[in-house]
This record gives sequence, C-alpha cells and structure tokens, in this order.
Amino acid sequence: MNNSLLVVLIASGVAYGTPLLFGALGELLAERSGVLNLGVEGMMLVGAVMGFWTVQRVHAGSAVALIAAVAVAALAGAATALVHAFLVITLRASQIVSGLAVTIFAGAAGLSSYLGNDLNLADVPASHTFHAFFPARMQNWPIVGPIVFGQTPLVYASWICVVAVVYYLARTRPGLNLRAVGEAPGAADAMGINVVAYRYVHTLIGGALAGVAGATFTLAITPQWVSGITGGAGWIAIALVIFAFWRPELCLVGAYFFGALQALAPELQARNISLGPTELWTNSIPYAATVIVLVIVSSRGGRRRLGAPAALGVPYVREE
Amino acid sequence: MTKRKLALAAAVLVIAAAAAILALGTSPGSAKSSGTFKAAWIYVGPHNDGGWSQAHDAGRLYVQKALGSKVQTTYKENIAVGAQLQQTVASLVSQGYKIIFGTSYGFFDKALAAKYPNVLFEQATGTDVAKNLSEYFGAAEDTVFLSGIAAGAAAQCNTIGYVVAYPIPEVIRHANAFALGAQLAHPGIKVKLVWTNSWFDPAKEKRSAQSLHGAGACVLGQNVDSPATGQYAESVNVPWVGYDSDAQKFAPKSWLTASVYNWGPYYLKRVKAAMNGTWKPGFYYGTISDGFTGLAKYGPDVSAKAKSLIAKWEAKLRANRGAEFTGPLYDQSGKLRVPKGKKLTVQQLYSMNWLVKGVIGSPKG
Amino acid sequence: MRFTVERRLNQPRWLVVAVPIGSVVVGLAVSAVVLLATGHDPLSSYRQLFDAAFLSTGSLNQTLIAATPLAFTGLATAAAFRMRIFNIGAEGQLYMGAITGAAAGLYLGGRGGPSAFVIAAMVFMGCIGGAAWAAIPGVFRAFFGASEILTSLMLNYVAAQILTYLIFESQSYWRQTKGFNATVFPTGKPLPSSAIWLGPTVHVQGGITLPLGAGFAVLAAVVLWVLYRRMRFGFEVQVLGDSLGAARYAGVRVRRKVLAVMLISGGIAGLGGVSQDGDFRHALDGDPNGLQKQAYGYTGIVVAALARYNPFAVVVIAFLIGGLANAGNTLQGADFPSGLVGVIEGIILFCALGGELLVRHRVRFVPRTRTPAVAAPEAAP
Repeated sequence: MNNSLLVVLIASGVAYGTPLLFGALGELLAERSGVLNLGVEGMMLVGAVMGFWTVQRVHAGSAVALIAAVAVAALAGAATALVHAFLVITLRASQIVSGLAVTIFAGAAGLSSYLGNDLNLADVPASHTFHAFFPARMQNWPIVGPIVFGQTPLVYASWICVVAVVYYLARTRPGLNLRAVGEAPGAADAMGINVVAYRYVHTLIGGALAGVAGATFTLAITPQWVSGITGGAGWIAIALVIFAFWRPELCLVGAYFFGALQALAPELQARNISLGPTELWTNSIPYAATVIVLVIVSSRGGRRRLGAPAALGVPYVREE
Repeated sequence: MTKRKLALAAAVLVIAAAAAILALGTSPGSAKSSGTFKAAWIYVGPHNDGGWSQAHDAGRLYVQKALGSKVQTTYKENIAVGAQLQQTVASLVSQGYKIIFGTSYGFFDKALAAKYPNVLFEQATGTDVAKNLSEYFGAAEDTVFLSGIAAGAAAQCNTIGYVVAYPIPEVIRHANAFALGAQLAHPGIKVKLVWTNSWFDPAKEKRSAQSLHGAGACVLGQNVDSPATGQYAESVNVPWVGYDSDAQKFAPKSWLTASVYNWGPYYLKRVKAAMNGTWKPGFYYGTISDGFTGLAKYGPDVSAKAKSLIAKWEAKLRANRGAEFTGPLYDQSGKLRVPKGKKLTVQQLYSMNWLVKGVIGSPKG
Repeated sequence: MRFTVERRLNQPRWLVVAVPIGSVVVGLAVSAVVLLATGHDPLSSYRQLFDAAFLSTGSLNQTLIAATPLAFTGLATAAAFRMRIFNIGAEGQLYMGAITGAAAGLYLGGRGGPSAFVIAAMVFMGCIGGAAWAAIPGVFRAFFGASEILTSLMLNYVAAQILTYLIFESQSYWRQTKGFNATVFPTGKPLPSSAIWLGPTVHVQGGITLPLGAGFAVLAAVVLWVLYRRMRFGFEVQVLGDSLGAARYAGVRVRRKVLAVMLISGGIAGLGGVSQDGDFRHALDGDPNGLQKQAYGYTGIVVAALARYNPFAVVVIAFLIGGLANAGNTLQGADFPSGLVGVIEGIILFCALGGELLVRHRVRFVPRTRTPAVAAPEAAP
C-alpha cells in the first residue's frame, strides 16, 4: 500500500514541496504588508549557498551545524530582502523592477554563483544533511508512514511555520494590523500603526523564509551546491501565493500539489504507465492545473476580489 | 551651489570618468602579450557542475598546465545555443582567440565557421566539418558498457534503474551499452529507464532514482550529469554507477564506478597543432586505447569476479572499439537489428534510435 | 537634521534624462568598489564592457541581436502594464509566435531571395500566435476575474513545454527529419530562403546588419504610442487602468478592453518570437538550452518598467540593456567569474531604481524644529 502511486506522490509532494511552502509563506507575509517581492528566486539561491557554506565550515555535531546553516541561510535571505525593502519602501521604487533586479543581482548568474565559486563549494557533498527524523519502523506504517514520518525535520519545521502564520494572521494584534497595512495603509497609519516598520519587518521575514527554502535544497533534497540549484522554485512560490488566495493553509495544499505533480513524470515512467507524449503532459499538467483551479475558484467568487491585499505593489506615502 | 552649477559639475565628472575608462582601461583587443597563443572553451553549463562541463574544464586546465606561458586559455560558461553563442564567439574572436572549443551540440556549424575563416573551431558531439571546423567525440559507450558490467554484477535482483536525459541517439546508445554490459554479467537482467529531459537537474534526477528504486531497481545508474542519483542510492544502500566523473565522495559505500571522459590529451594535441600550423579538420572519435575514455576508480563493493570480467572486456575493446555492439542484437520487440558477427558502424551509432532487448522504456522519451 | 521626501508637482525635462545617466554612473562607481574588493581592475572591465557593447568592430551587430527581442517583450509588457494589466506571459507568447511564424515560413516559403509576401505572412502569423496565447489569460481575467499574473506566468511554462516537444519529442512539421545531422540531434527545419529576414547593411563599424525585426519593433512602438496616446481606445484603456469604477461609469466596455489589451500585448510578443526565427535562428529553436534559456520575456519586464512604459523609451532602454547583456558575455571568463556580471548588472539596476526617486520626488533637508507639526511644512518652492 505504501508503494501505491497515490501514497508515493503525496510523500514526494511533501518532500519536494517544502521549499515551495517556505518560499510561499514568506512571500505571503510580504505581500500581506503590501510589498510584492519578485526576488524570491534570488533570495532562495543566496540562502542555499550560504547555508551550504555554513554546513561545510562549522565543525560541530550534525544538529548544531545544520541549525546554524539554516539560521545563516535565513539571515542571508533577509539581508538580500533588505536591499529590496530599502528600495521599494524608503526609496519608493517600482516593486516589480526591484524584485527582478534582486533576482538578477543574487541569482544564478549573480551573487549566489559568485559566492559559491569563490568559496569553492561546487562538486563537494554536504558535510551534514537532514535525514528522516523518525525511525524506520514508523516510516513503514501504512500511508502515514512515508507521508508523515518519512520526512526530514525541515518539513516538520514548515508545518510549525504554517500553524504559526495562521495563528499570527488570525489571532494576534500585529497580525490583524498587518491586514490593515496591506489593505488600507492610510487608515492603518491614521490608527497609529507604523506602516513602514510593518512592511520592512514582513519583507525581511519573507526573505528569511526564502533563504530557508533555498537551504532546503542544499541541505536536504540534493545535498550539494551548484549554480542555480533551486531551478525556478522561487517563481513557483510566488505563483503559489496567488493560487492559495493569500491564505497560509492553502499554501501548504498548493505546495504539496505542485510537488506531487513534479514527481508524476518519473513515477509514471517507472511504472510503465504511458499517457501519450508523457513528458509534454506531465510537465505541463502542474501549470495547466493551477490555471484551471484558479479560474474555477475565481469565477465562483464572481466579481469579488481574490483576496489580494488592496495596497499590494503601491508604495506608501504619508501625506503631510 | 545652485542647481545649475551642480549639474554642470556632475556632467564634467561623468565625462572625466568616461575619458578615464577609455584612456586607462586596457582593452583586451590590444594584445600586449602577442606571443601567447589564445585558446577558448565554451560550456553550456557551469564550469564546476561536477559533470560534463567540469570534465571539459579539466581538459582545459590540462592544456594550460602542459603549455604554461605559451598559451592563454579562458572559458565561457552557461552559454545558450543561439544569440548568446553568437555574441560569445564574436567577442572571443575580436579578443584574438585562435581556436575555440564548443562543448555542446549546436554551438558551431558551417555557417559560423565560414564567418570567421581565420579562427579554428572544434565542436564536441557534432557533425559538421569544414575547412576550419572539426568534430570530436568518442566511444564513451565502450566504457559505459564496462560500467554496466559492474552494475550487473552487483545486482541481486532482476532490475537495474538507469536515469537518462534526452531520448537522442547519444543517450540511447549509452543506455544500450549499459544494458548489454549488465546482461553480460547478469544474464536476463532488465534495465529500466526514466527520462529526465535535462542534462543536469539534481532534484529531478533524485526523483527519478526514487521512482526507479520504488519500482524494484536494486542497482542505480545514470547518463546524466549530477551525482544526485548517487546521493539517493547511498541513502537507501543501493549500489550506484555514475557518469562523467569520479563521484565516489558523494556516495562512498554505494559507488561502483563510472565512465569518464579525458578530454585533456585531445585538447593538448589540437592546441599544439594549431600553434604550429599543422591543424587539419576531421572527425575524431576517441577510444579507450587512446585514453579518451576510461573507467573511474572502483568502489568497495565491486567483486573480484566483476573486475576480472571488466578487465577482459577492456582488453577486447582496446583492440576493437565498439565490440560490445557485435551481433546478434535484438531490439525490444524481438526483431534482429544486427546480424551475427556484424558490428555497428560509427554512423549507425550516431543515429541509433532503438533500444536493445531487456531495456524497459521507450526510445521516444 | 532630517530629510523629507515630497512628490514633485512637475518633472523637469532635464531631470528625466540626467537622473538615469547619473544613476548608471553611480552604479558603475559602486560596482567599481565591488570589483576592486574582488581583485579586478574596474577600468579595464568597464573598457571591455563599452567595447563589447558599442565600440568595437561588429559590437553593434551583437547588441542589436540582443536588443531586438528585448524591444518586443518590453513593448508587449509596457502595452499591458501601463493599463495595470500585469501580463507576465511575454515569454510564452514569444514562444508561441515563434511557432506559428515558423509554420508560416516553412509552409509558404520557397526558393529565391527574401519575399515580402512570405515575411508579411510570417509577421501576421507570429502576431496571431502570440495574441492567441495571451487571449487565454485575457479571457480568464476578463470573464472570470482570475489573476492574469498567475495565469500568464503558468502558461509560460506550458509554452516552453510545447516548444521543446515540437522539436525534441516528436517528429513534428517543425522538426528537421532529413539528413544525417537530423538523426543525431533534434533540430528545427531550416526556413526556406524566401522566409529569411534579410535586413539592410549599414557601413559603420565594418558593416552592421540592421535586423528586420528591429525595424518592426520601432514600428510597433510608433503604433503603440499612437494607439494609446492619440486614439480613443487608448484613452478608454487609460481610464480603465486608473479606476475600474470610473471606467464602467463612463460606459467603457471593461471586458473587451481587457481582452484587447492582452491581445495587443501578446501579439507584439509573438512578433518578437517570429523575429527570432526569421532574423537570427532561421529555424524554430526548441532546444531547452537555446531560446528558452535567454529569458527575453522576463528581461522585457525590467526594460518596460525602467522605461516607465513609454514605447519609445522602451526601444532605447532595450538597446542599452541589450548592450549590457552582450557586454556581460564578453566580460566573463576564466579570470572574471560569471557571477560578478550579474552582480554588476544588479547594482546598476538598483542605482537606476534609486535614482527614480529623484525624478518623481524632491528630497529636502529640514532643520529640526520644535514647532508643532502643523507649522513644519515649508513654503511652496
């Protein structure tokens, strides 16, 4: 039963969807505060390279090295996000261009590649990697075994993050303020909420989570570093936020959906299931499915807003 | 200071900066080092991808080391076929590079070579030959065959998983060679293919390896460039055959061996020929015996029996390149493709679009 | 002493030109520091950059090759973004235009020199292909309210799969099936000679070929400008972009306008795609390591935004960014890590963005006073 297509796809979906989930959660927070961050891919790559560097350099036990690596990756992502935040919040630059500029600056042909090459991180396996946390016995339990207990600690950390973000947005004062900041910053400002501070903080958190997402690649999924290792996951994460209507719990569903669909092609091939031009279908399905799901859900809402924060993308200027 | 004066000062500054750049910046076109011969390599991926491009770069460094100050080498990485390649070649030519090695199919063709008649072009895995355009590749299938023997010998079940890139003749003949080797060591064994449709995509390769393992493969092999398959194999204690490079460090226990390319000796030969004017275009197809292709160090779990079988066949292949493709060979549907005693020609290998019996998977992808 | 940032009431002409130039200079200065820190000579590097982009023999050829597709995707993006319709799908629409345009060229082309009829047909079909692909997110946005950002982005990936499929995974009409080369590696069928876009040669720098596509791009810019600034369509779409409610009140048919804008945007991107076939590749390029690696669509977004969605500025900026991309290729090598190229490009973009602030806003230094906030704002400039 654990080897059935569905179970395998879901388990893969969870494992490979985790960087998408981290990235999407971060982007969700930034966008909720009104800042569109198209530089997620660049931030992921910076997090990936700096996390890998840390794990190679820290000479301590596995747990310490890995935790340090994740922390450094988060910091690196946040530092990159600081550039974007400064440009779009303080200097009121175009958020779209700034995000794309960050991707160029930090991306596969930019800073992350430079750092990786300069620090000689290529062609070397990671000194420590995240392994499955629970014992093999539990991993073999029917269905929940591979899906729940066969995952690395980063997956469990992502679940905690989802719960935290849900709670934060729905039940805490700052979380509710965040909603105001994203929808009507003028009103929020009048209420005494520091719009600029909220935007900065949430953009930086977004960058930090993107950094962790990148580190998931180099520390867990494929424990090596090469230029561009995230392979476009940042863009998928951005799309995922829209797909999830800016709701964290739907980000989880969407991330695993995407992850599972990406695992579909090799699984079908290995099981000798042929769907015609396999590569074309199975590679297109994740994207086509996203479009279809979005259209269906949007049309049910009719003319109502999707849930996008109304002030997304617009610099906040306090009228004096 | 008024705004106008400020603007004027800024303008002066810009002009001064521009003048400084033009005057003081040394243009690379001004070849001060006119004595050195310039050779360039163009890679389709990063120069340190641990796979295909890195092997070429190792060849470049081999040349640099052998010729020292007599040659100046450089490389361009992550170059896409098409416009970017055109620009890259144009800039290399204008910087005085006299021989350029293109390491991916489609980089150079007759039209490009005709555009720059005073520059020598060498294209890997290609087909066009012209007055200043030469082709080079080699019989990696021979060493892939040998690595297949190691895989077959290590298999304790009936299926080997093989992660492959694109369903093109180059990959198909490697997959066939691998299967033939595995069947030699382990008669009746099946080789199951999963196509990733990418030369280098670690996450996809790992997913493919997982799927193959889940479908019953007890040995994993690959014809793709990253060691992700091996890292997965190590994590589930399954033997692994690599490709392109010695990647044992990624999977110390699972590692069996791999077919590796030694581009260095060929590069040195050609650069030297270009330097002393004896360069001639041609179609080089390297073999085991001229050192073009070889096997990486064995891992701990290669049995003595496997080693001796490999050694026996290596000697055979040294004398007779491509001997593994000697008939009778049947395709997946059972049809006889190569009659008994006949061997496939290089041309037939270059256009191979059928898989041998015992390979599970479609040659169409 | 603190500074305040106030929006300018008007934007002096000289500022609009001076600030971008100044920002690039500042960007180069900052990059110079980075280069020095990493052990490279900035002056030589910059000399190489300018040489490769504009100065050395044949460099303009290469810059035009890089700039032409950027002009198309920039115009396509500008056409939509200006109206707050965020078409991120220029990349996919370019691929589809390349496919349909190549089909026209293969089908109608024959022997002999470039034929105006064939080229016109290719242009037409290229635009149709791009427009049709853009119609999908357009319809979903106009009639279902689905975000065009997501749908157009997702369709980019689908278009890439289709493009690869046509050449790599099938024996399609576009695929070369004859000849030994064809069996070795999947390639596109070469366009017949009457379908090849031959541009005029200008005798500068040893002979520069102006790609026909570049001319079409300039034409497209003019058409776009006329459409948006001089025709009622443009006015209505502008109103739509500014305020949905006002547009509806004014009787603007919102759905049709949204769809129309997407079609125009996609059509321009599609023209960029067929230009790739006719001007440069002379076949359909389905290699995942070819056209799909160039990210023309996404770079076009940067171009459009820097140009603030003005069609003529898009053409100029596409030329500059094309030069930069071309030069970046030249700069990288064994002694210059390719990563540094992206760093420099990013820094220049950051400075350009930062400079934008000075165009739209005025920064003033205000002495700290103890008077209440009401009295603080200064007298009008």
